[in-house]
Amino acid sequence: MRAVLWRAISGQRRDVVVGAVLGAAHQAGEVMVPVLIGVVIDQGVAGGDLPALARWLVVLAVVYVALSFSYRFGARAGERAAERAGHALRMELVERVLDARGGAEEGRLPGALTNTATEDAKRVGAVNMSVMLAVSALTGIVVAAVVLLNISVPLGLVVLAGTPLLLFLGHLLSKPLEKASEDQQDRAAHASGVAADLIKGLRVLKGIGAETAAVARYRVTSGDSLAATLRAARAEALQTGLVVALTGVFIAVVALVGGRLAASGEITLGELVSAVGLALFLIGPLEVFAWVNAQFAMGRASAARIAEVLAAPHSVAAGTEQPSLPVRGSLRLSAVSHDTLKGVDLEVAPGEVLGVAAVDPADAVSLLSCLGRTADPASGTVELDGVALADLDPAALRAVVLVADHDADLFEGTLRENVGGAHPEAMAAAGADEVADELPGGVDGHVSERGQSLSGGQRQRVALARALAADRAVLVVHDPTTAVDAVTEARIASRLRDVRRDRTTILVTTSPALLAVADRVVLLDGGRITDAAPHADLVTRNATYRTAVLA
Amino acid sequence: MSRELLPVATAARTRAVLLDLIRPHRALALGGFAVMVVATSIGLLTQPLLGSIVDLVDAGESAAAITAPVLALVAVAVTQGGAMTAGLALVSRLGETVLARLRERFVDRAMRLPLEQVERAGSGDLTARVTGDVSLIAEAVRVALPEMARSGLAIVLTLGALAILDWRFLLAALISVPVQWHTARWYVRHAGPLYARQRVAGGAQQQQLLDTIGGAKTVRAFRLEADHTARVAERSNTAVDLTMRGVNLVLRFYSRLHVAEYAGLAAVLVAGFFMVRSGAASIGTATAAALYFHSLFAPVNTALVLIDDAQSAGAALARLVGVIDLPEPAALDRPSSARIEVSGLGHSYDEGRPVLHDVDLTIDRGERVALVGASGAGKTTLAKLIAGIHRPSAGTIAVPGEVGMVTQDVHVFAGPLADDLRLARPDATDADLREALTRVDALTWAETLPEGLATVVGEGGHRLTATQIQQLALARLILADPPVAVLDEATAEAGSAGARVLEKAIETTVEGRTALIVAHRLTQAAATDRVVVMDGGRIVESGPHDGLRSSGGRYASLWEAWSGVRPTSENPLE
Ligand SMILES: Nc1ncnc2c1ncn2[C@@H]1O[C@H](COP(=O)(O)OP(=O)(O)OP(=O)(O)O)[C@@H](O)[C@H]1O
Ligand SMILES: [Mg+2]
Repeated sequence: MRAVLWRAISGQRRDVVVGAVLGAAHQAGEVMVPVLIGVVIDQGVAGGDLPALARWLVVLAVVYVALSFSYRFGARAGERAAERAGHALRMELVERVLDARGGAEEGRLPGALTNTATEDAKRVGAVNMSVMLAVSALTGIVVAAVVLLNISVPLGLVVLAGTPLLLFLGHLLSKPLEKASEDQQDRAAHASGVAADLIKGLRVLKGIGAETAAVARYRVTSGDSLAATLRAARAEALQTGLVVALTGVFIAVVALVGGRLAASGEITLGELVSAVGLALFLIGPLEVFAWVNAQFAMGRASAARIAEVLAAPHSVAAGTEQPSLPVRGSLRLSAVSHDTLKGVDLEVAPGEVLGVAAVDPADAVSLLSCLGRTADPASGTVELDGVALADLDPAALRAVVLVADHDADLFEGTLRENVGGAHPEAMAAAGADEVADELPGGVDGHVSERGQSLSGGQRQRVALARALAADRAVLVVHDPTTAVDAVTEARIASRLRDVRRDRTTILVTTSPALLAVADRVVLLDGGRITDAAPHADLVTRNATYRTAVLA
Repeated sequence: MSRELLPVATAARTRAVLLDLIRPHRALALGGFAVMVVATSIGLLTQPLLGSIVDLVDAGESAAAITAPVLALVAVAVTQGGAMTAGLALVSRLGETVLARLRERFVDRAMRLPLEQVERAGSGDLTARVTGDVSLIAEAVRVALPEMARSGLAIVLTLGALAILDWRFLLAALISVPVQWHTARWYVRHAGPLYARQRVAGGAQQQQLLDTIGGAKTVRAFRLEADHTARVAERSNTAVDLTMRGVNLVLRFYSRLHVAEYAGLAAVLVAGFFMVRSGAASIGTATAAALYFHSLFAPVNTALVLIDDAQSAGAALARLVGVIDLPEPAALDRPSSARIEVSGLGHSYDEGRPVLHDVDLTIDRGERVALVGASGAGKTTLAKLIAGIHRPSAGTIAVPGEVGMVTQDVHVFAGPLADDLRLARPDATDADLREALTRVDALTWAETLPEGLATVVGEGGHRLTATQIQQLALARLILADPPVAVLDEATAEAGSAGARVLEKAIETTVEGRTALIVAHRLTQAAATDRVVVMDGGRIVESGPHDGLRSSGGRYASLWEAWSGVRPTSENPLE
């Protein structure tokens, strides 16, 4: 968490420094204002001296110009630092989520993660502005103290001793706030995650007329979030009230010391006015400190959430080796046990089209996650061209091996963008050329988020076209034709071999149309491979296979 | 297909809805306000007390004389602190409660929006409103509202205090008002449109993040990381740029405020000069006036700058109210009848591109009809229209009561499994849930989950297989218990092994209901009473499986493709 905060600040060093320096200049100017009020009263008002009044008002004008400009440019630098740091964190989070080794989404809703990438990143970024404000407020306090020391040493000392004490108390008071604020933010994030999830499932909800129940569910979450927010708000109100009271007491002390000094003639009336004015002015920077403390508390809570995502354990370890080029595309699984798999041995020759028929779909899923290396097998090894997948860099591995999940998401954009460019052969092989024909605008036609503007089968064909177009040395496709009709499926099956010629292809499916075009089919039953032969042979000789595939 | 974002409310409507929401909490609002007035008024005793110390010194009083006003200052500080705590707590309570009701009403309306409207806008638009906009308003309520209450009161009451000192001080102080007024108007004019653009950019960023993070697995598999990172970066940069523009605007606004500040301060000092010279005021009074005016800087600046927060919160609020205010979608006007009667049905998702043409279909009570046809033929569309999820562009549909549908898109709701099921029937007992799961043959696996029915499923939770997800969907339908069931390819995602499990589950699910089953697995079609074949948005064939199979039409060719690879005793593999 500290590291996240620190990076957010140090990454914007220049702007933070510029902001702090100019902010300090601004505060120094602000200090001069009550001082000058005192001078005006002393030399102009009390003495009835008009030229002196005019002279000092001009000086006041000059101070105003200076403080105004330094604020303008200082705050701009501070805000820029805040925004840029937020942006940098957002990008860091996205990169972590997309990291080839995965793991960041584990146990987190996309809505909640999105919230972290927007709101939390922003809050941590805003710490830069807080730093700048804290520095300028501190400057204001120091300048005020110097002026006060010049007026009178005891008075200056009272302020110098009192201010840090107040700051310290303010910090102590913000501690309980931190916990409450963390809880509040967690629940707010959860509530917005629930809302996002319900909206994502809107079609399903409407299908069973569950809108009312969904609303009721959100109400409960929203109520929890409200309760937490109210707890945090009460803590914050208490903190603010205490700071107000402490500050008032502090000013009373300054007035007491200053008043006695003036009464005994050690300082002038004007100096007393300046001193009192300064003490009043000090409320400002002190409140800024209280605010900055609260801001830091929230920033820390947000930074903790960001740090947690960034430090989420990877699903798979990072190997360092690169696949040896040219990739031949042979795979070997030896004694792989993972989830439901129990010691799978399998060799896939380069360029082979292998069918995998799983009696239990869970076996298929386990196999896919080993091949795509979204997880490393509990025991046994998977090798690509003789190199264990665990030793390979996962990103480099994915450049060679593509596991196309059957629930792979499409993205908002054109059809062409979704397929990854113009790939007429892949499009035709997947039957996605017909989708383009039906879409207004053809391949440049628009596909809405998650492909929702397409029919189920159209979506699936576009996803298959994308997998084929990626043209990896090894392609593993999972049930690519479950949502298309039998005629279209037959057409896809007939073109698949040709478009994948000389490259290794694994079809994990129970569709006989697809399995029929494989060189060889292995039957996965009870976590083990129980038979291997061309489809036609298995159909005639293996009853389990027949029920798995033909029924 | 162009985006058609959801509406944004006008300022007047936003205000009206807000007042509506505040009304039930009138007592709280008044109480909070009153306590804040007390707290601020007490605080205003500080300056006269300081002024009186100046006067005591000026009058040559002894040092001991100032003890009394100092003690009074301490009393003021402590009371003000206490009252401030109470006031702020009350004001936040009001703000947060109203916000909670607001977001609940928003979700309520969002859930009931016609689906096509949501899809045209992109669900990201809705999501951004319920996440980003809500949290922006929350921030404003948490920070800006109490500040606003404090500053606003401080200004009004301080000006009052100035007037009590001498009306001429108030007059002098008011010199700064025209400048502030003009500045504030200038600012609002420029900031309004900018904030609206910022909210849109925020929505776009949100949408992209959801897309990228939600599809992270796909992004990784296809090595689209760079592309997606660039997309997010672009959206995020746009948002940052717009924010910085807003910052520049605010800072120029501040510069102008400094001018106002100086003018007012100089005027008060000059007024003090002449009034002291003419004996109309003491130096202490002049001091108090100057200190009052000086102490106005902070609240005035805060209040004027809060216009800023108010503007962006207002923009966000208008986006929430825009949805809340959408007319209650007229209840689907569907004549009820003893059977499903569809006539002259037409539909287009995008203007001018019909995907259904003049469809007529009748389904008798208790009849099971399979809907088959090429991918993209319009089966899902017809199914959704019958289920009442979408509104037809043309034609009528009469139904015998509620229609429940298992959609082609599946979703597992994040949270405990039991909660997911209870969405279909909130008052279902555990026994009901088990019973429904048993009927779709899902109880066994559900009970072996790490925490049984309490296991957290859905995104971020325990991952379910495609078959399990479909079983859940069917169990939900059983719990919802509608007389008519529409199932859209409930077997598609599961592969054929899962499909057989599901086919059995579907059997039990549709028992006792009128059913329309969209099926690509033709064995499923073969088991129904009647098969309806669609092509190019039209019904092209209809009849029992056996009849159609031998008719040489479209169904016959579908069946041939299907059964050709699935030899049976009567259809051997050639
Ligand atoms: N939300 C949408 N917006 C725009 N067009 C859509 C939308 N949903 C479907 N379409 C289009 O309407 C046509 C019919 O789609 P529909 O989903 O009804 O087909 P289907 O017969 O169910 O196909 P499949 O078997 O592939 O599921 C297709 O051309 C599709 O692209
Ligand atoms: Mg469909």
